[in-house]
Amino acid sequence: MTMLDPAAPQTGSLVPTLPGHWYTDPAIFAAEQERIVEAGWVCVALAADLDAPGAYRTVQVGRESVVVVKGRDKAVRAFFNVCRHRGAQLCVEPAGQVRNKLQCPYHAWTYDLTGKLIAAPNLTEMPDVDRFANGLAAVAVREWIGYVWVCVAPEPPSFEDEVVGAVVTRLGDVESIDHYGVENLRLARRIGYEVQANWKLIVENFMECYHCATIHPELTEVLPEFADGYAAQYYVGHGAEFGSGVEGFTVDGSAGHARIPGVSADQDRRYFAITIRPGVFVNLVPDHVIVHRMTPLAPDRTLVECDWLFLPEVVESGADVDRSVELFHRVNSQDFAACERTQPAMSSRVYANGGNLVPSEHHIAEFHHWVQSRLA
Amino acid sequence: MIYACQLSDLPPGGSLRLTDLPGSPPVALFHTEDGELFAVDDTCTHADASLAEGFVEDCAVECPLHAAIFDLRTGEADGMIATHPVRTHTVVASEGQVYLQLSEAIPHLPAAARRAAAS
Repeated sequence: MTMLDPAAPQTGSLVPTLPGHWYTDPAIFAAEQERIVEAGWVCVALAADLDAPGAYRTVQVGRESVVVVKGRDKAVRAFFNVCRHRGAQLCVEPAGQVRNKLQCPYHAWTYDLTGKLIAAPNLTEMPDVDRFANGLAAVAVREWIGYVWVCVAPEPPSFEDEVVGAVVTRLGDVESIDHYGVENLRLARRIGYEVQANWKLIVENFMECYHCATIHPELTEVLPEFADGYAAQYYVGHGAEFGSGVEGFTVDGSAGHARIPGVSADQDRRYFAITIRPGVFVNLVPDHVIVHRMTPLAPDRTLVECDWLFLPEVVESGADVDRSVELFHRVNSQDFAACERTQPAMSSRVYANGGNLVPSEHHIAEFHHWVQSRLA
Repeated sequence: MIYACQLSDLPPGGSLRLTDLPGSPPVALFHTEDGELFAVDDTCTHADASLAEGFVEDCAVECPLHAAIFDLRTGEADGMIATHPVRTHTVVASEGQVYLQLSEAIPHLPAAARRAAAS
């Protein structure tokens, strides 16, 4: 594989992107799954998605299938979705509800919601079988900002460094996101997008705003500075300011909903964006929070789930959030169409050595170096 | 009465499987969240599984394997999955110790457990 040289002197306006095959090569994709997705913390569910004991989600983490389940003790746990007997997947539905156990549909090996093996045909005749050693293989779990994060690595990296650290890098401190009390917000809308593009194209797109004036007419009306091409992510702690006549972060700039109480004066009327590598984008505006979660499925296929979170009273009142949701739904659709337009060219011989980053995109090179360093 | 366990080994919500009892197949001891003690045959009468690993709710235990349900007070089966009752045993706690008076009735055991008991 062709490597970029982070130490190479930058002489002109243009900095190279990754070569085209980094977006198409199955071997590189497999290495990314192994050394990036499976090695780090992955945001897999809204904690409220697991609302009652026995509620579960089946999620893909790199090449591994993982079951996330709420126990009878209300604790959320995650396990490899692999029966310890002969390997059948325990859960195949993306979400569901069990009463008190996970039972393999093949030979009925049965596990309680802590993962312990509690029953199997003829198990009482096998007293030597350790119920814990042969229980479900646990996956590390954390809950943060109202989301469940898992790590399938045997020795997970520091959550504080990898996840919280990404927020601090972008916003300058962790208090800035605490102001939004994301864990207290409620899901108002969720839209899933299956994007026919490599996951890195989606990350790169989110990190820059050079495209904003061209493809995001509604967004640049609300955030006029985006028309200059400099993304909020270009600066530390910077939030893009709403236009003077804009009342709220909505598709037509009309008023949004009740402001989140903790949002400070210098956060009001601003949009902040954070990339938590590899697959989470957090967008903060005064009255709601938008969270994108990406699941790379293939070199040219990525699932993106997008949540719109508002104050509980806004959701409970049945308030119309359509204009708020529509703004970023359009941004998403515009962005993903651009990524899908880009993907086919990644295998063109013209793009064999990659393309170019302009100065307002130069910070994306750091993302490229990060990807390459993880695979080195 | 025979000694079963220390009460401290059986906290509320807990259960224990007792084996090597004189002349009896394994017994499951339950201490419910409400503080009551129950003892029934441990082996489900439908198929070989340990009721001590089951789920207790409303004075009944649900077998972990096929979800047959037995009343902890009477041993009666739900009649859906299991048709035969489990025996109930008298259980007494005294000065932090738990004692059992085993039933003299003939246990209903599934075929696999009968084979295991015979061997």
